[in-house]
Amino acid sequence: MKKKDLIYYIIFLLVFAVILPLGHVAGLVSTNTISLWGRYFCFAIAALGIDLIWGYTGILSMCQAFFFCLGSYGIAMHMLLKTTAANGATVPDFMVWNKIETLPLAWIPFQSSGLTLVLCLVVPALFAFLIGYVLFRSRIKGVYMAIITQALALAMWLLFLRNETKLGGTNGLTDFKTLLGFRLADTGTKMALYGLSLAVLCGAYFLCNRMVHSKFGKVLLAIRDSESRISYAAYNVNDYKLAVFVVAALLAAVAGMLYVPQTGIITPGRMDVKASVEMVMWVALGGRGNLKGAVIGALLVNYLYSICTSLFPDSWLYILGFFFVITVLFFDKGLVGVVDMAWQKWTAYKLRRAAIS
Amino acid sequence: MKLSFPSTIKALSFPLLGLALAFSACNSSSHKSGTTDSTATTQETVKIGVLHSLSGTMAISEVSLKDAVQMAVDEINAKGGVLGKKIEPVIVDPASDWDLFAEKAKELLLEKKVAAVFGCWTSVSRKSVLPVFEENNGLLFYPVQYEGEECSNNVIATGATPNQQLIPAAEYLMSEKGGGYKKFYLLGTDYVFPRTANKILKAYLLSKGVPKENIIEEYTPFHHQDYQTIVSKVKRFAADGKACVLSTINGDSNVPFYKEFANQGLSAATCPIMAFSVAEDELRSMDTEFLVGHLAAWNYFQSVDLPENKEFVANFKAFCEKKGLPGGNKRVTDDPICWAYTGVYLWAKAAEKAGSFDVAKVRSALAGLAFDSPDGVVKMDAGNHHLAKPVIIGEIKPDGQFDIISKTDSLVTPQPFSPLTSPNKGCDWTSHQGVYTISK
Amino acid sequence: MKTVRITGLFIFCLLFQRPLLRAQTDSTGIYLRYILDGSDSLCGVGISRLVALRPTEAFPLLRAINDMRLYRLNGQPVTPQSDEPTAIDSGKVLLLSLLPPYQLVNDDHGHPATTGSSGLTEVKISRGNRLLLTPVLPLLNLFSTTPQKRILAYSQLQQNQQIDQLPYLQAALAQETDAEALRTGKDIYYSLQLQHAQHAATARAYIDSIVMNWSDNAATMLRTYAHNGTLGKDLNAYTAQQAVALETRYDRLQKIQNFFSGLSLGSILILIALGLSIVYGLAGIINMAHGEFLMIGAYTTYVVQCIFGNIFHSHSDWAFFISLPVSFVVAGLLGLLLERLVIRHLYSKPLESLLATWGVSLILIQAARSIFGDLTAVKTPTVLSGGWQILPHLVLPYNRIFIITLTTGVVALTYGMLYRTRLGMQIRAVTQNRQMSACLGIETRRVAAVTFFIGSGLAGIAGCAMTLIGNVVPDMGQTYIVDSFLVVVTGGVGKLAGTIVAGLGIGFLTKLFESFFQAVYGKVFILLFIMLFMQYKPKGLFPDKGRLAED
Repeated sequence: MKKKDLIYYIIFLLVFAVILPLGHVAGLVSTNTISLWGRYFCFAIAALGIDLIWGYTGILSMCQAFFFCLGSYGIAMHMLLKTTAANGATVPDFMVWNKIETLPLAWIPFQSSGLTLVLCLVVPALFAFLIGYVLFRSRIKGVYMAIITQALALAMWLLFLRNETKLGGTNGLTDFKTLLGFRLADTGTKMALYGLSLAVLCGAYFLCNRMVHSKFGKVLLAIRDSESRISYAAYNVNDYKLAVFVVAALLAAVAGMLYVPQTGIITPGRMDVKASVEMVMWVALGGRGNLKGAVIGALLVNYLYSICTSLFPDSWLYILGFFFVITVLFFDKGLVGVVDMAWQKWTAYKLRRAAIS
Repeated sequence: MKLSFPSTIKALSFPLLGLALAFSACNSSSHKSGTTDSTATTQETVKIGVLHSLSGTMAISEVSLKDAVQMAVDEINAKGGVLGKKIEPVIVDPASDWDLFAEKAKELLLEKKVAAVFGCWTSVSRKSVLPVFEENNGLLFYPVQYEGEECSNNVIATGATPNQQLIPAAEYLMSEKGGGYKKFYLLGTDYVFPRTANKILKAYLLSKGVPKENIIEEYTPFHHQDYQTIVSKVKRFAADGKACVLSTINGDSNVPFYKEFANQGLSAATCPIMAFSVAEDELRSMDTEFLVGHLAAWNYFQSVDLPENKEFVANFKAFCEKKGLPGGNKRVTDDPICWAYTGVYLWAKAAEKAGSFDVAKVRSALAGLAFDSPDGVVKMDAGNHHLAKPVIIGEIKPDGQFDIISKTDSLVTPQPFSPLTSPNKGCDWTSHQGVYTISK
Repeated sequence: MKTVRITGLFIFCLLFQRPLLRAQTDSTGIYLRYILDGSDSLCGVGISRLVALRPTEAFPLLRAINDMRLYRLNGQPVTPQSDEPTAIDSGKVLLLSLLPPYQLVNDDHGHPATTGSSGLTEVKISRGNRLLLTPVLPLLNLFSTTPQKRILAYSQLQQNQQIDQLPYLQAALAQETDAEALRTGKDIYYSLQLQHAQHAATARAYIDSIVMNWSDNAATMLRTYAHNGTLGKDLNAYTAQQAVALETRYDRLQKIQNFFSGLSLGSILILIALGLSIVYGLAGIINMAHGEFLMIGAYTTYVVQCIFGNIFHSHSDWAFFISLPVSFVVAGLLGLLLERLVIRHLYSKPLESLLATWGVSLILIQAARSIFGDLTAVKTPTVLSGGWQILPHLVLPYNRIFIITLTTGVVALTYGMLYRTRLGMQIRAVTQNRQMSACLGIETRRVAAVTFFIGSGLAGIAGCAMTLIGNVVPDMGQTYIVDSFLVVVTGGVGKLAGTIVAGLGIGFLTKLFESFFQAVYGKVFILLFIMLFMQYKPKGLFPDKGRLAED
């Protein structure tokens, strides 16, 4: 088991921390490809959060994309204000068109980069805490939880779409130039963001891994398998659920923060109902209840999405659709499950061979 | 737990950031050379990008534009291509996903090395790709009417600016000939085009002496289906006569809106709807019974009575049938289709004129370029990268076509910044550096 | 009916028109040539002269111009006999001459000419020139065959506010048959009288009549009069008071209208959620593709209509009503297929089923897009267009009434099926306890398949009904899926009664909030409200009782 994990880690780091950057230095891999993978890493970070809450705790939260966007919007507001200030204007362009002359109160803290970083984490955490507190207190679970969180995401999406929320409406926020003084268009900044995303992904993976193997993680698994029994054992289930919900939201927010500078735009489209379901899809595909699976699923699905929309512009939905259905039908442990199965067969075969000879 | 996250990020990020910066500094020089000018000309073919959503919510509108671009490419190739090279369209599907638009734009410009990109429909998709085009010096031909307030050196807008659609329509409705309407209900989907359009319309109406209480502004979300409440408001508004609706309602909300309008007993005679986002392609096989007599303002209609248009329409139908596209020869042309098609020709003509596919050269060749489009001769503006064209107002007929009821005598000059809302802003890339302040 | 009206027009015109001079009749011919052959501006001159002179024999011509039904055959102005807009294309409609008025026309061979005759050309009159007809429009349309046109004519008379039109109005009202048109007409009549009343008592009588009659703009009219009236303060105060009274009554009716809107939205939600609820309750499947079965139902309706149009060449209402059962069967069969291929392997794995059906929904949407292209719309049956006028300000659109009726019917049938049949009993048994039912000899797989068929079929019916209010697009299902999930969850998963109560509740509340806030905020409030509601009923309105309910 340990040995297999190690192989996964080595392959992953070899590919993304060594081969890709080296390929870029050698001129074989374009900057575009690098930042593409940087973006996939962000999705993978969010997927880790979903795996924690869904795979390990059994709570299907369909509003992770909302937390993702909270982080994104925070950093986007900050970058937009910097761009605006650089242009010598007082308010961003879109506000001028909407007849807003003074900077709205909610935007003011985002002028400072330190405060922005804090708010990008505190706001999603607070939201998650409130939502979680209300939902878990009333013992909403299973499908009810999924649908309610989905409805919540829908409500927030509708709000963000409105121009009155002063967050750019449907068009969202775009036209960023710099982040912490670095020009976003520079190859160096792009590489740095890639590196940062990779590092955060590794860090998040490490922390999540520690978490699920700790006592805390065991309680989460117990909640997933039988909530009533663990609560009879005098564990305060709600506190655990709430904690993991907040952690998942934070992971999503961090992912969102890293995502925006690499994409250059954030719109409410990132947090619609579909977006959250897709996030859950990544984890399901990779293998739920398995942190590696979450990462692999997120990377693979997004890579496929990018590739297929270019190679098969007319039929990519069929390809992805069938892929989802077949994975769910035949490989209920996800792609990692498939590999595990193959691995077990292989070792069994080797053992047999050894026994024969 | 909560606190450790930012600190780990920071701890991890700074050495890495420094490392990566050092890392990329040495190789960036080797990389930068290849982006802009080389490539596209090196092979037998020249690549162009087609960036229209083929799936998702915007597919309804954008698929037809992809077809129009494809047809223009086929026609040009049949005549021998551009500068002796065949055009090779690279079609991708941004799937109505705004982030993916930016990603695909990068892919087209950087990996596929296309000479020009034809694409986008919604404002948000254009805004999403705009930084990409500016950063990599690409050329985007944008075929749809939009809200203006933009002046990019990398976007060639073949669609209408507000003054090429909104103002003539309002003018017509207020005129004796148009019915002399006195009350205006501005109804739109809640996004940037209706918001800006209504802002300009309102400023215009107020400047023409329409009292404030005779103008109502209202917005509904995307895909709004239930118009009962709003139509009853319109009905009350129109009760004492001489009222009309200026509609920027988008896409699939139109059918329920018009249906409800008719169901509550309002008609084109009592209260006409002037639509800015309803064209033949949307009316195709829509139940037009409720729409007959209502109006729309565009720069082109399929019913434009010109020999070159008749040929264009026939060719388009034949093209769709030959390629086995859904709809076949029942397909229709409309304003965005015409401008998507014209855009390809403009680009080809400019490239011929410049003798190169280089973005800067094509761009300067485009300034002031005239072209005999299906809509008659149209002309690129000398400085602002927009297209001058006639404004036409049409009345919806039962067959989903428009009866042309008013057409400007000459081409209307495009104004990306509306004089009504940004009175001292101008856009000119020939004699100024883009946006400039008009001195009074 | 039609001939009666037309002759009515003539007798009437003869009665009221100024005695005609011979010279005027001659000039009609000249202006006719202007209209038929002249340039746009000359045509305008012709029309405006005819409008000014108002010669009797030109009225049919002017009406044809206004209706855009003016054609030319052998240099003569003609118009099709039938009012049906589609009839012109059929080529079989007889033509009537316009000058001399309304006589059958023969073609070159001496046969009666039809719209299929060669040499028939449409005479196009620009909108600007058609607008020149405005002064005589009421006179043209007062005697139209369609009540809608007559209502229009009456309201146009009001805008003109000319006392000399009073006699026309009286004559028209004398033969008015349609209630709504009569109300509008009377309203104009009273208001004209009121404007020209000389004594307070007369004016008061007319005000009372206006109040009695209570047309669309009665309140506005009275307010204007209260403001401008010249017959004394008392009368003005009285008028104002009456206007306020009318407005209060109007508001009350508006509440009823809102109630009805809520009811209709609720029924739509119920119709969609019904299938979802049954399937979830029985099989523990969250069917993300449920919305796509709605879409399939809508496209089935479209196809049925196309078949009717292409094969039987008929645009009759039957196409729609036939497509109701057809879409049930088609959506149901596809649902069955989905059950066989995918769902069967996922029973009681709700989350996996969620993902698989999500994949299926992607495939279905893309399939619809490749087959049907992008946008299609279904023609609303003529029976269901328009509305039922209960009171002056209370119009209940027929399509909504139909949906409410349909929902009631479907709910009743489903109830009957669940509680009165053997199958229903089996479904309920499997819903309650799958293993136990299997032990008792119920073929749970078969029951599940049948349930899936019914559930998908119900979505199909909902889709068919949705074509009445919206259009048909590949991703139409996604618009409603979250709402219907909410209905199911609020009602309590798998509970029919819960679904009905929750659907109606959410429908009413949405409309209630919408009348206070804008639509979007209304929706946000609903969602927040539901979240709060779930605090008290975490398992929905009708939770399972007993220990089984706990996992």
